[in-house]
Amino acid sequence: MSTFVEEKPTQKLESFKGVKKVPHEEYYTSGHRTCQGCESAQIMKLMAKAAGPRTIVLGSTGCMYVANTSYYATPWGVPWMHTQLGSSGSAALGAAAAFRAQMRKGAMKDEPINVIAFCGDGGGADMGLGAISATMTHPDYNLLILMYDNESYANTDIQISGTSPYGVNTSFSTPGKVKRIMHHRWKKNMAPLMLVGHPTCKYVGTISTSYPLQAMNSVRKALSIGGPTFIHCLNPCPKGWDFDPVLSFELGELAVNTGIWPLYEVENGVLKLYGKTEKIANGQFKRLPVRDYLLKQGRFAHFIDEDIEYFQSKIDEMWNKWLVPGIIPLRREIEADEPR
Amino acid sequence: MGQLFAVEIIYRGVFQKTLAKNITRGIVLAAHNEGKLGISFGRYGDSPERNGIPAKSFAIVASDAQTLEAGMAQYEPKQVDVTVVLDDTLCKGAESWAWYGLHPVHQALKPGGTLIVDSLQDAPTLLKGIHRRQEPYKLGIVKGVTSFSGMWVYKDDHTDVRILGAIAKALPAVVSLASIEKFINEKLKNPLKATSAHTTFERFTSMNVKPGEGNAEEPFSFQLPKWNNMRKGVSVNGQPQGGPYADPVTKEVGGFRPVRNDKFKKYSTRTMRPVVNFETCTKCTLCWLNCPDASFDVTPDGKYDANLEACCGCGICEAVCPVPNCITMVAETAFDGNASQWEAFRKDKAAYKEWLKATVQPAGERSHGFRYRGQYKEQIPAVLEIAEKG
Amino acid sequence: MATIALPVEEKKKYEQEALITGAEAIAVACKLANVDVVTAYPIRPYDTVMQYISQLKADGEMDCEYIVAEGEHSQFEIVKHASVCGARVFCGSSGVGWMYAMEALTVTPALRVPMVAMVGNRALDDPGAFGVEHNDALAVRDLGWLLNWVDSAQEALDTALIAYRVAEDPRMFVPCAISCDGAFLTHSQALVNIPTQEQVKQFLPPYKRGDLLLHPDNVISVAPQVNEDWVMEVRRQNYEVTERACGVIREVYADFERIFGRKYGNPFFEEYMTEDAEVVLLGMGTLSTPTRVAIRKMREQGKKVGFVRLRWFRPFAGVELAKCLERFKAIGVIDRDFSFGSPNLSGVVATEVRSAMYTGAATRPPVLGFICGLGGREVLVQDVEHMTDITFQAAKGKAQPLTQWIGLRG
Repeated sequence: MSTFVEEKPTQKLESFKGVKKVPHEEYYTSGHRTCQGCESAQIMKLMAKAAGPRTIVLGSTGCMYVANTSYYATPWGVPWMHTQLGSSGSAALGAAAAFRAQMRKGAMKDEPINVIAFCGDGGGADMGLGAISATMTHPDYNLLILMYDNESYANTDIQISGTSPYGVNTSFSTPGKVKRIMHHRWKKNMAPLMLVGHPTCKYVGTISTSYPLQAMNSVRKALSIGGPTFIHCLNPCPKGWDFDPVLSFELGELAVNTGIWPLYEVENGVLKLYGKTEKIANGQFKRLPVRDYLLKQGRFAHFIDEDIEYFQSKIDEMWNKWLVPGIIPLRREIEADEPR
Repeated sequence: MGQLFAVEIIYRGVFQKTLAKNITRGIVLAAHNEGKLGISFGRYGDSPERNGIPAKSFAIVASDAQTLEAGMAQYEPKQVDVTVVLDDTLCKGAESWAWYGLHPVHQALKPGGTLIVDSLQDAPTLLKGIHRRQEPYKLGIVKGVTSFSGMWVYKDDHTDVRILGAIAKALPAVVSLASIEKFINEKLKNPLKATSAHTTFERFTSMNVKPGEGNAEEPFSFQLPKWNNMRKGVSVNGQPQGGPYADPVTKEVGGFRPVRNDKFKKYSTRTMRPVVNFETCTKCTLCWLNCPDASFDVTPDGKYDANLEACCGCGICEAVCPVPNCITMVAETAFDGNASQWEAFRKDKAAYKEWLKATVQPAGERSHGFRYRGQYKEQIPAVLEIAEKG
Repeated sequence: MATIALPVEEKKKYEQEALITGAEAIAVACKLANVDVVTAYPIRPYDTVMQYISQLKADGEMDCEYIVAEGEHSQFEIVKHASVCGARVFCGSSGVGWMYAMEALTVTPALRVPMVAMVGNRALDDPGAFGVEHNDALAVRDLGWLLNWVDSAQEALDTALIAYRVAEDPRMFVPCAISCDGAFLTHSQALVNIPTQEQVKQFLPPYKRGDLLLHPDNVISVAPQVNEDWVMEVRRQNYEVTERACGVIREVYADFERIFGRKYGNPFFEEYMTEDAEVVLLGMGTLSTPTRVAIRKMREQGKKVGFVRLRWFRPFAGVELAKCLERFKAIGVIDRDFSFGSPNLSGVVATEVRSAMYTGAATRPPVLGFICGLGGREVLVQDVEHMTDITFQAAKGKAQPLTQWIGLRG
């Protein structure tokens, strides 16, 4: 079978077998100016730890740029470079292409180098979507796009992004005297969007910083499988979501346990749910009410019961009506229409 | 040139953003009742604010337009008549978003100016944290629970008007109590708040702090390089890799201490610090693994020691620790310095145990509170009581 | 002609003579420069260069990563990062495509990215138009880009090689754009001498980024967020580069002449029949062709007129140009661009020339501005004659409007 795809070998990063096996080295240390309890900073740390020293990181504008790497106050122990808000896809592509060409021509030592570009939800799900989409169609460049999602343009003081949850209070959707709900759009379903739209992409995963081992192993798989890969991480944001930083970890768990944030990975087209999400799917664990999650956050302080009920009904719909529960919004009804 | 006054508010980013704004606006609007002119602004360089990271806002008040303009002809007042510290844990110095190094809270305070601190502590305790300086100044305390709230929910516990009352007492020339009460009654339309302001005015006293009095520590600073000494291409050196280090007692080398950025330390962001009971620690790694600031050293004996120059006090370690009271967040006011707890433990276990007993109160429920356990809307009545009774 | 014709023995040095467009000539230069990463996106007229490069790759003549981006913004961001990771890169665009990439264009000088880009000059929308106009490339004139205009396929090829050498000089490390007039240069074929690989190797050393290289062996953080404490210092570093630019460019042209035997004389501007001229016209790009023809015609009528063709717009060799122009009685600047609301409502070049004359010239000859040939409108020989006559009037002391539109209906 002839193919003109010239794949390059990746690093082979075995999964960490248990927290005790996680290496001590930090490639993202202190020095960042993020908020207390910033889970977005936490995923940067885990990502860098999982990727190891032979890595370069490209970061698009957002909290993890502005708060994260201010002049002389860099936390990075691997090479890092800023890229423009909409450019995480292009940045990864450019770096991977540069290494590939120079290694082929003998201008640089031929070795697998991890290329990771991260973006926030604003950079990934909004402005940078086109570039990421294009990058996901390049079979011969090994790279990872990691989208840290704090569900708003957190850096610019919390404005609506394509992944902001329904009804949320942001500085572009503050409840007023007449309208209580200023944001009525539903969160963009990014991982499946990457997955379904880009057959070339061999690995798509959703992760949460409240499950650090799985998060790191997801990064390691994405970097080992070859070609362009995508990871979507939900990061509770104490500032924008308005909760006590001590609750950062718990909020991450609640997002999963309420079924709002399903954890899964798709490796070479094979879908695998993990953690509580798997238990929710096979009925071993009953989803907690979204109320438990919403009421812990000041950004939903304006919600009244009917708002919470609507939110709950949308989550129930995800799990009860979707063909691939919690993931792909095709209705089960479609099955009936299929010619037998 | 007429009369020109500047008041500076040092506060916790996000948590006290609205509070600080209310105070500086209050000063300007109240002073306007006396025909004075003024402006109120947050330090642009501190924005966008980050949870807990120290920030500043200012009120400039003048007797006439030209004098006001003279006061505005600078990025921010270099010298202020009154500095208000809205969280007493800031007394140890503020390393803000927008500057390099740790700045004493009275850095901009004129000789003889007044430093007002919102605190439950007494002056001698606060002076253990406040750096010494050559010029004398006055220190006054507004007794109260530090007022924190979130991005979207403001906790109206009267701290704003109580600070206004204290300012009127400290420097009546800026604004009189009468003007403040007028402002509260007309603009805020809340007589109870007027009473709070009045009570604080009457109770507020300040003491003279003599030259050289206070915390002897030299705050760390950072020299900005010249343009031709800066690296090309807007680049800076990254962080080198850390390594193992020695046990102070056995001298046995092991564990892992990451290299930490020496330009931005972040500890002045901390309002509570983790206190670790190394005897009950099971080495489960969770505090270390889940710390967003990589602030835990892995000790040579395989335990986890919060590096208190890097720790910003989020409390996630407490939240994830599976052992009851093994890691407890304790209000920062209880501590001096950033010395390693583990080294103290290694050097004298018995003494450390005693210290733990004295320092760690049994951890109660901590919900949407940020600063003291269980503090939020439902606690406001209690907070107000302290405000009233003093 | 743009270049001095070569003696036969000089020609021997060349592998071959080819009939190619200016765009293709730049593609050949990229091949000779052994460019590592190329990004393409379709827009007339520049994209013929990318068509040719893809053919060169398909034919195994050029070894590069050839990436078709999903838009100009990505196109330029990709090569920006590739360049920081040590690759020699090539990119380009036209008209609104160039403007679509503007964010990426803006950040490259401070990042010290020596990318070389071709601009196939095209009118900006709206209305959509394919014809030449210089406002697209000129949009980067204040940002720290090196910016030049060529007027022949040969000069396009040579300037591309020169651009890499200048941009990648460690004293520089800034991006360089080569502007080629749409249609006249991008789509018309001319005989071009193609240098040998050996010559190019001798002229153009490999791109070495040194301690600015983004690679696991060089742990740096590039372009962290700054506050008011840093921006001026960062800008000052780019200012220093522009201070050096003219010197470096002179060195490189001298080397070029030595290695390739082709003489360009003054790198910054080319003078035509100026020796005894009373007045001169000044302009950039391919309007040089009708201008030279008109000048020869007017010379036969005894009109002592010359032409100065500006090659490098950034850096702008102001002092040198002023010294050159101060000896004429009047100067007519032909702008294939507009700068609405500018002083005297003149075009960009006229305004820059006046500013250079103000500080650099001993005399104050009138500097007239002509807006001409916008949106691909041809600049006719009689247009040039018309502009020359107006300039002579000014030389005689008869006051003339400082800005006039030439070749406009009605």
